[in-house]
Amino acid sequence: MTVGRVLLYAALIAIAAIYIYPFLIQVVTSFKTDPDAASNAASLLPQTWTTAAYQKLFLTSDFPLWFKNSAIVTIFVTVGRVFFDSLAGYALARLHFRGRGAIFAGLVAVMSVPLVVLLIPKFLVINTLGIYDSYTGMILPLLVDAAGVFIMKNFFESIPVSVEEQARIDGAGTFRVFWSVVLPMATPALITIVILSFQGSWNELSHFIISTQSPQLTTLTKGVASLASGQLSQGTQYPLKLAAAAIMTIPVAVMFFIFQRRIMNSSEGAVKE
Amino acid sequence: MQRRTRWLASGALAVTTALALSACGSGFSSGSSTSGSLTSSNKALTVMIGSSGDAETAAVKSAVASWSKSSGTGAKVIAANNLDQQLAQGFAAKKPADVFYLSTGSLAGYASNGSLLAYGDQLKNKSDFYPSLVKNFTYDGKLYCAPKDFSTLQLIVNNDDWRAAGLTAADYPKTWDQLDAVAKKLGTGGRTGLVVSGQYERLGAFMVQAGGNLMNDSSTKATADSSANVKALDFAKKMLNDGAMKFAADVGAGWGGEAFGKNLGAMTIEGNWISGAMQSDYPNVKYTVVPLPEGAAGKGTLQFTNCWGIAADSPNQKAALDLVQKLTSKDDQLAFAKAFGVMPSIRSAASEWKKLYPQFTPFLDAASYAKGVPTVKGASDVIADLDSKLGQLGSSDPTTILDATQKNLEALLK
Amino acid sequence: MTTTTVMTKPRRAGFGGIRRGEAASGWLFTAPVLIILGVFLVIPVIMALWVSFSDWGGRGSPFSSDVHFVGLRNYSTILDGGGLAESDFGTALKNNVWYVIFVVPLQTALALALALLVNRTLLRGRGFFRTAYYFPSVTSSVAITVLWLFLFSTTGTVNQVLAWMGIKGPNWFNEPSGLIQNGLAVVGIHDGPAFLTQNSFLGVSFWDWLGGPSVAMFAFIVMAVFTTSGTFMLLFIAALQNLSPDIDEAAMMDGAGAWKRFWRVTLPQLRPTLFTVLTLGLIGCWQVFDQIYTGTQGNPAKTTLTPAYLSYQSAFQNQAWGQGAAIAFILFVIIVLFTLLQRWVLREKKVSRRRQLAYSPETAARAESKRAAQATGGGSR
Repeated sequence: MTVGRVLLYAALIAIAAIYIYPFLIQVVTSFKTDPDAASNAASLLPQTWTTAAYQKLFLTSDFPLWFKNSAIVTIFVTVGRVFFDSLAGYALARLHFRGRGAIFAGLVAVMSVPLVVLLIPKFLVINTLGIYDSYTGMILPLLVDAAGVFIMKNFFESIPVSVEEQARIDGAGTFRVFWSVVLPMATPALITIVILSFQGSWNELSHFIISTQSPQLTTLTKGVASLASGQLSQGTQYPLKLAAAAIMTIPVAVMFFIFQRRIMNSSEGAVKE
Repeated sequence: MQRRTRWLASGALAVTTALALSACGSGFSSGSSTSGSLTSSNKALTVMIGSSGDAETAAVKSAVASWSKSSGTGAKVIAANNLDQQLAQGFAAKKPADVFYLSTGSLAGYASNGSLLAYGDQLKNKSDFYPSLVKNFTYDGKLYCAPKDFSTLQLIVNNDDWRAAGLTAADYPKTWDQLDAVAKKLGTGGRTGLVVSGQYERLGAFMVQAGGNLMNDSSTKATADSSANVKALDFAKKMLNDGAMKFAADVGAGWGGEAFGKNLGAMTIEGNWISGAMQSDYPNVKYTVVPLPEGAAGKGTLQFTNCWGIAADSPNQKAALDLVQKLTSKDDQLAFAKAFGVMPSIRSAASEWKKLYPQFTPFLDAASYAKGVPTVKGASDVIADLDSKLGQLGSSDPTTILDATQKNLEALLK
Repeated sequence: MTTTTVMTKPRRAGFGGIRRGEAASGWLFTAPVLIILGVFLVIPVIMALWVSFSDWGGRGSPFSSDVHFVGLRNYSTILDGGGLAESDFGTALKNNVWYVIFVVPLQTALALALALLVNRTLLRGRGFFRTAYYFPSVTSSVAITVLWLFLFSTTGTVNQVLAWMGIKGPNWFNEPSGLIQNGLAVVGIHDGPAFLTQNSFLGVSFWDWLGGPSVAMFAFIVMAVFTTSGTFMLLFIAALQNLSPDIDEAAMMDGAGAWKRFWRVTLPQLRPTLFTVLTLGLIGCWQVFDQIYTGTQGNPAKTTLTPAYLSYQSAFQNQAWGQGAAIAFILFVIIVLFTLLQRWVLREKKVSRRRQLAYSPETAARAESKRAAQATGGGSR
């Protein structure tokens, strides 16, 4: 081990510690009492371990409802994106039809529109269609994303055409070819879409702000945001807020750790957020 | 040739879809408000409030629940995270809350774009409300809503700290200099003498005491840059720099009441709502309410009031009016007063309230010399801007701040 | 390759044989994507454009007959109105510009540094470090903002750690003073020169424009670098692993030191990835919304107000829907301009004549002979 190596690892470990420390503090503080959290914010050892914050979170707030809403939306959006994105990606990669180029160009253009511009007008459109303040309004606009179509298209283009040609010669229709032959081969790309959709819809905030107003439809992001600043943020109840944020992060973290090799290696697509 | 047809086709598709959408706008409908007749249905009512705390939310919920039981119409209370935003979104979506808190600052905006039902004339107890409150909620000659309560600002003093500093009832400050001296005396042991929220809604009391205010009583003229206001803010700035006064945010509290409850400050300037917060969050703190000191123009303080707004797009306005009628009745208003310390907006409840709360008499007495906040459309924005600047009053120039506010207010009156 | 006689031109759309049903399938397969993106992306943009040119007040349909075309009135109120709308927009713009100036270089440099470091570790450690650095990017902005509000509160973790080092930390999220103005105050300059304080652009004096991000905004800047460096680090690692080691070895043999090798050999090869990272960084930085909504809502003193949040606030809180839409479109234009600017700055520049001369064969021959002369003169290196 040369001096250079030692320094390298020392630097990496120090930086990793800085990256991990905030999350350790978050988890530990959620088990502290309010005064303890306020006065010993940097210590990783609570004076007394208590689950008061979690009890308050689950028993007296709407946290379980928020979790349920987030879960509903995320599941529908993920399934929808996997299905529709792969359909469209296959069509753009393999099917030859007039207008294919225009659609592709349109997708590129759409991807360049910043989300900011869509805040107000999406609200207006959702209203006009009458799906405001409903699960439909929360799920439908998120059901498809241009980036996912790109990822699937790129993947399908890398599959050899011969497999499909064979199936076609055997008489299978286009959808059969897609569903039974090509799609099963696309597992790596599909997993990527699952990860990205899960993360994207679980962590989405602005869309839920503009598409709902009823407390029954509040998701985790909106709910925890209201805990941080708003009517529900009474005083400095840090353990409560940090507990909420921690639990909210668990599903994405689990997904992350299970599929991390896949995420790390698929650095082709633009990983948003 | 091929590309052009493609562009034409997609363009035509876009235009057709747009037209189709605008035509079949099921979410929007050009609603015409039929004056006089109220809508009625058996839909449950939504009541949206901007609550000051658990005490207020619980009180409103129980009052609404008892009405719901006796009237047979369902009703749900929602404590908004951001009342303005949620109201605006509801109005735009044509799915507004049926009954909601409406502040003096928001009335002009919503009334002018037709979001509100002007039901004032249909109130049975219309003549019982304080005239100044009725004036606050009259727009374009119509009373739009029933004042639900009102509050004034006075000085809240921590009894234990007061005694520990060797002060007695005779030492309650009657002038600005006395307030400064007393605050300095009380500022010991990590505690500040006077802690207030750094906003116009508190420091404005000094402005009124000096003889000024941001606008005149009818909100038709902007007076923000008057010398009286400058004097008031100079005084506040002096106290900040002397250490006699600190802003709540600077001591780590969300508002003056929290700082007072946690004994980060020995005194605070708050309204009568503080009684509810102290009762539920800091029950062990003993305090006295005393009138604010007099300024160059004598006694002065700010008055705040909200009303119960009813949405023009509510499908069940009849039930909404019935609910509001109950919520402004003497019994309900006194119940609210007991729960979170507001003062009833009807004169017939005044004497009973004073009997219940002799210790809060200064609040009610202030009704005779309190001034309201500007009510012209867009004023709340200007005040929010002023508030953001007042947070730094200790290191800013009051004249510059007030000149900017004057300019902004004048722009609203054009 | 099968010899086909029936399928004559397999590449032309809609022509004979097995390809016949493809047009219908093609449109059918892409239909859901087209419809949903069209309805919820294309149409909203058109609708917003109309609203920004109209006086729609918030009730009823924006296309009803009560809504009138008012031309550029909303835009002029924001850009030239002289009132609160203009100064709010100027403040929001100033805040976001400083945010971009700090975040984009910091996150790019940090991501690159981390990628270089991680790339040199052994295979086993690499996974752990990559995970550690990438994990913050996985969390939602709401959760991270809540955590940050705690870490940077007056008695929070950061101030406690600073206290261990003897520094009294500021009241981070409540401190609106600008960093640069604070720095100048340390050396004794408290007020700007008259020509800076008296003149203003978009309602904000030039002195304030140059004041730097506020301390509160700085906390957000740190948060942004923390959460995005991991993502970009992955992009850089992938690019680094695609580099062939030959070029680097050749440079090493030519006697180039590590720093020179990085600057002249590695970095130019990373240009495409650098371009991607910078573009994504810029686009992301100009759309800061979630963190402001959750954290400070523009406070203190509007120093964390961003155009994205202002657009939302104008429309959804103040019912100035036309202005809100106008702000959103101005932001769109800004993003496009910045992306184009950055593309122009990073383009492949033509090598200058002087440089070309430096690498010409004659110069190489001259250098070779010089080196030979030195080698015989002294010992080997």
